[in-house]
Amino acid sequence: MSNKAPTVLETHSLQVGFRNRAGDKVLFEPLSLALNRGELVCFMGLNGAGKTTLIKTLAGIHPPLEGVVTTTQSVAIVLTEKITGTQMTVRDLVTYGRYPYLDWWLTLSAHDQAIIERAIQQVNLSAIADNQLSQVSDGQLQMALIAKALAQDAAILLLDEPTAHLDLNNRVEIMNLLRNLAHRAGKTILVATHELDLALQTADKIWLATPNKKIITGVPEDLVLDGSFDSVFQLKGFDLKTGKITHQAYRPLSIALEGSSHEFLWTKNALERCGYKISSESSLHLAVGINKEQLHFTISAHEATHTVSTLKELLEYLAKVDQ
Amino acid sequence: MTRGRYGLNLLALTLMLGLLFLLNVSVGSAALSFAEVVQGLFSHTGTASEIVWQFRLPKAITCIVAGSALATGGLLMQTLFRNPMAGPDVLGLTSGASLFVALLLMAGRYPSVTSIIVPGAWSVALAASLGGIMVFIVVIIIARYVRDNTSLLLVGLMLSAATSSIVSVLQFTSQADDLQTFMIWMLGSVGSTNWAELGVLCSIVCCGLLISISMVKVLNGMLLGESYATNLGINMKRGRLAVVLVTGLMVGAVTAFCGPIAFVGLAVPHLIRLVVPASNHKILLPAVMLGGGLLLLVCDMLAQMPGSRVLPLNAITSLIGAPVVIWMVIKAKRISV
Repeated sequence: MSNKAPTVLETHSLQVGFRNRAGDKVLFEPLSLALNRGELVCFMGLNGAGKTTLIKTLAGIHPPLEGVVTTTQSVAIVLTEKITGTQMTVRDLVTYGRYPYLDWWLTLSAHDQAIIERAIQQVNLSAIADNQLSQVSDGQLQMALIAKALAQDAAILLLDEPTAHLDLNNRVEIMNLLRNLAHRAGKTILVATHELDLALQTADKIWLATPNKKIITGVPEDLVLDGSFDSVFQLKGFDLKTGKITHQAYRPLSIALEGSSHEFLWTKNALERCGYKISSESSLHLAVGINKEQLHFTISAHEATHTVSTLKELLEYLAKVDQ
Repeated sequence: MTRGRYGLNLLALTLMLGLLFLLNVSVGSAALSFAEVVQGLFSHTGTASEIVWQFRLPKAITCIVAGSALATGGLLMQTLFRNPMAGPDVLGLTSGASLFVALLLMAGRYPSVTSIIVPGAWSVALAASLGGIMVFIVVIIIARYVRDNTSLLLVGLMLSAATSSIVSVLQFTSQADDLQTFMIWMLGSVGSTNWAELGVLCSIVCCGLLISISMVKVLNGMLLGESYATNLGINMKRGRLAVVLVTGLMVGAVTAFCGPIAFVGLAVPHLIRLVVPASNHKILLPAVMLGGGLLLLVCDMLAQMPGSRVLPLNAITSLIGAPVVIWMVIKAKRISV
């Protein structure tokens, strides 16, 4: 789908970096990148790779060393920079999105007000719209900043680490919101993040900043399979191909596990986490199932069977057997 | 709904300002009854009229104009630096203005402040403004390198100290008459302005206040920081320059005629935020302008309280300002621009 969508922002041999007396500090090799309409792109890379500077350059608020950013559309940004004005309310912050359209006395038309209210609703902040920024959580502040960008009515949204310092629930909420905005409202969205798991599950495309100052672009799964992520992040104990932390079996006991669906997966998780090896050749059989809406785990070895109903009991029993 | 409440607060501030203006005009070292004051206002002969028109009215108007100018300057600086401790006296603007006034006075071209005639009034005001603007530019350049509140404050203190020491050297080499004039001027006074000087002060300050009002969008943008503001189509470079010029001019003019009045610029924006909890300059600016006038009217009346002897204005503003600053430092985590 993304192949057919029109390109809304392009860079041609763009050099990003800082210019000072000692000379240019170039952050990337000359970049030729493109963002297409209705696409959610996650921009990943190690800390200090220059993600923030590239985003600012794309937004036109940081001058490029060389090259150009061409876009026919307006760009709105969400940054990590601190906002002063603790007496500012959520609605005040969202109102800033209308500033490009307002006169010097900031007169809001009914149309402006409708857009502001809609943006607040889109991020589910209506209940706290009149709260001061000092009273809202970090997640709510991020949502308010996204609402500000939405009120700006821009076709392109560039976000710098919008999920940093948030808990899992808030991170998922924000990524889902961004995905919906891209797919349903046709916004083009670039998110700088280092949340690997979330990016893999939500992004249409990944921009991956490599240590040798290049940016690899591609569909997330392709980059997983060709090992690009591994080489950039030097993953330590996280198996990207299964999406899980790798476990070393440190107990002598191996278990042949039978079962299906969630119960099977979580039992496997518990056993591997505790250092048991899962092997279909083991003589120790464990069957997981549900009988009359009640979980049961049946362990059978050499004709003897034992049944428990929670994983805690199961693990305690196995620990005894292991000794 | 909240907008209505802000409107009411503004109305209340305006009424209070009017009331205090009348009160301020009706008290003074000469014992005049309220009826005599009113009579003096509308007649052009007699002692009462003389006192009201030559002393009390100029003084009360000076209070309002100077207070508004200093408070607005404080608000603009706090917004520009995104720093609650910024203010014209804290960051050395008033010292810079003082230095230039001292240079003019003690260079011997102007024998005393009180004898300044109109062209002199303009030159003193502009010289003081120039001093303020120059210090402001130095502070802005240094502020690029220091980001935290305390360091900027320290830089301001150092600049004040440096300019004050040059003033001391000037004092040391000047004649006794000039010295005394300058010392009195340093104590701060709203009572020595004549109508001609008031005209100069009013024109400069009114220009400054009008330009400030016209910059509501830019000032609000400054609260978000340069990146966001630029993305919203706000020209920050021009905005910063305008704040420097407007603040420097207003503070300079006030300092030229009233001396270096302390704390008003720093304290009023915070006091106003307690009454009008807003960060939108469309609401804050008018409130701060009214609040500055109010505070100086009150301070001036307190300075005359003990009876025949008039206390120096700076003693009173410091008496009110110092606790405000201490309170701010204690609650530093909650106080913000």
